[in-house]
Order: sequence, then structure tokens, then C-alpha cells
Amino acid sequence: MQEQASQAASLALAYAGAGLGLGLAVVGAGLGIGKLAQGVAEGVARQPSASGQISAATNLPLFLLEGVAILAEVFCLMIVLK
Amino acid sequence: MTFPFLAAIVAQAEHATQAAGEASHQTVDIIGHVSNGEHPLFELPLLLGINFSITKHVFMLWVVAAANFIIVTAIVRKSIARRQLVPAGAGNVLEVAVEFVRDTVVEPNVGAKWVNSYTPLLLTLFVFILGANAIGLIPIFDVLALIDHAFIHSGEHSFLQRLIHGSATATGNFNVTAGLATITFVAIITAGSRAHGFVQHWKNLVPHGMPWPLYILLIPLELIGMLVRPFALTMRLAANMTGGHIALLAIMSFVFVFTTMLGQLGGIGIGLAFSVPLGVGISALEIIVVLVQAYVFTLLSAVFIGMAIHAHH
Repeated sequence: MQEQASQAASLALAYAGAGLGLGLAVVGAGLGIGKLAQGVAEGVARQPSASGQISAATNLPLFLLEGVAILAEVFCLMIVLK
Repeated sequence: MTFPFLAAIVAQAEHATQAAGEASHQTVDIIGHVSNGEHPLFELPLLLGINFSITKHVFMLWVVAAANFIIVTAIVRKSIARRQLVPAGAGNVLEVAVEFVRDTVVEPNVGAKWVNSYTPLLLTLFVFILGANAIGLIPIFDVLALIDHAFIHSGEHSFLQRLIHGSATATGNFNVTAGLATITFVAIITAGSRAHGFVQHWKNLVPHGMPWPLYILLIPLELIGMLVRPFALTMRLAANMTGGHIALLAIMSFVFVFTTMLGQLGGIGIGLAFSVPLGVGISALEIIVVLVQAYVFTLLSAVFIGMAIHAHH
């Protein structure tokens, strides 16, 4: 009985950890994308003619950032499903 | 993305109306609806310990490959037969796609010297991934499931049932994207070897002219970095595709959650007021995701190939 309860508690902790991790990943990715968007907006506001080049240069770091966030989310999902 | 769970939803709606009122703790296997079907279409014997059975995703890969091959070949043959450089009809669309990949994805990253060597590979990746992503948005099998549920009533283990179950987005499977990323991985090494020679490519991984103790740190780091790139490509594409499915499924599940809680009217109300509008919005978002992920995979492959060619160490 006690063993069952402790098992349930550890399962609950695992779910809580997955939820917390998901939240943290989203916070980090949100901050990163926010900074990126800020930089792009300022750059385009100062130099509207370079908007094409600016957005082209933004694409790569944006996708690398997205990749890290997605990885974190996949691992959180794996915790939940295991 | 797709609605492979539509058949399950119809079946569950009947179940839920029966079970409404009693507190039923029936769990729904979400992953079963967004992954490969539970049963392969054709069972094949193990070969060298590997299961070569034809599953839904393998079937979808073939469908996408055949569709790409037929459509692109037909358009190109038609353009060649016209003997004019100006495209017409569907040739315009193909030309836009080819020029987009060549001029904005491959050329800035790989460089003018190698652009014609790597455009075919990256264009193939782009078109194939786009096709595989997009075919998941078209509810072919869900319409089939509805027809089956209403008219055909095929048995539990019939071929049609096996075809209906599981997701239709082959790129939502981590094994598929791992295969695609392996192509990129080999292409990176090939590009470096062709530009600098095989040995020099591996030397280019680390900067030279550093004090030797640094290399103890640098060489493992760079080797890990080399392996992480295709791993990240794998995860990004498959997770994005699966994520859309799971989000849609979770939103649509609210209908049944509220049916069991509040009865039929509550379920219909939540469906009309919340689930369907949000599902439509997410499906619209998925159209963008489908395009962006195909573009991202191609772009990152081009960037990595370009990094192997322009190693400034």
C-alpha cells in the first residue's frame, strides 16, 4: 500500500517535472524570439531599405532557437509518455 | 494537420452518449492516433532482425514519392515539349519553387561555384518534405473512415481499417526524418570532401594553430556538434509535425470530455463554441508550419553544406 503510494507520488513528480520543464522551455524560447523580433523591428525602423537582408539574417538563428525549444518539448513529452 | 482520429471520434461519440452520466474513466490513446498505425498494412518477416513490414507511413512515403515524380515529370516534359524558355501553366509554379530554392536558399549559403551541384539534392528534399507534410493536411483517410463507418462497415482487422488507422503525415515519424537527416549528414561530408579532399575535410572540423591542450577539448566538441546537427534536424521536423496533430487532438477531445461531464448538449456546445473554431485556427497555422518546416530543413541543410565548403580554419 505504502509502496503504491510512493510510486504514485513519484509519478506525480515526473508529470510535474515535465510540466515545469515545458514551461521553462517556452519561457526561454519566448525570451529569445522576443529579443530577435526586437532587433529586427529596430533594424527595419532605422533602415527600411535593408528589411529583406535583415529578415534573411534573422531566419537562421530563429530556426536554431526553435530547434532547441522543440527538443526540450520532445523530451518533456517523452517523460510524460514513459 | 490530419484528422485520422475522426473515425475514432465518431465511434467514441456513440460510446460517450451511452456512457454519459456514469463516471467512466476510459482513457484515450492519443499517440495511437498521431503515430504509425497499430497494425502494418502488409506483414513481412524479420530480415536481419529488422522489421520491414509496410506500415502506414511507409505507404505514405511511396504515395508522396510517386505523386512528386509524376507531377514534376509531367510538368517538365510539357515545358520541354513546348520548346520555349517562358513557362506556361503549372510550369510557372515549378519555376517559382526551383528559383526560390536555388536563389534564396542554396546560392547564398553554398556559393556560386557549387550551387548547381547541390541545388538538385536540396530541391528534392524540399519538394519531398513539402509533399509529405502537405498530404497530412488533406483528410483523405478520414473521409474514407467516415464512408467506412457509415456504409461499408468493414471488419476490425480488414485492410481498410489498417489503412484508416494512424496518421497520414510520414514526416511526423522520427524514423522518416532521421532518414532524411542522414542524407544531409552524408551530403555535408561529401561536400567537404569534394571541396577540400577527404582528409582535409576532417582537419577543417577544428581550427588549426592552437596550443595542443585545447584540441583535447575541441575535437570531441566538434565531433558532437557534427552529430547534433542531423539530430536537431530530425527532431525539429518530426516534433513540429506531431505537435500539430497532438494539439488538434487535444482540442477536439474537449468535445468528449464535456459530453461525459455535461451530457450531449454540453459536448455539442463546447464543440461549436470552442473546439471547432480553435481547430480551424490551428489547421490554418499548420498550413504555415508545413511550408516553413520544409523551408527550414532545406535551409539548414544548405547552411551546413555551405559550412563544410567554406571552412575558414
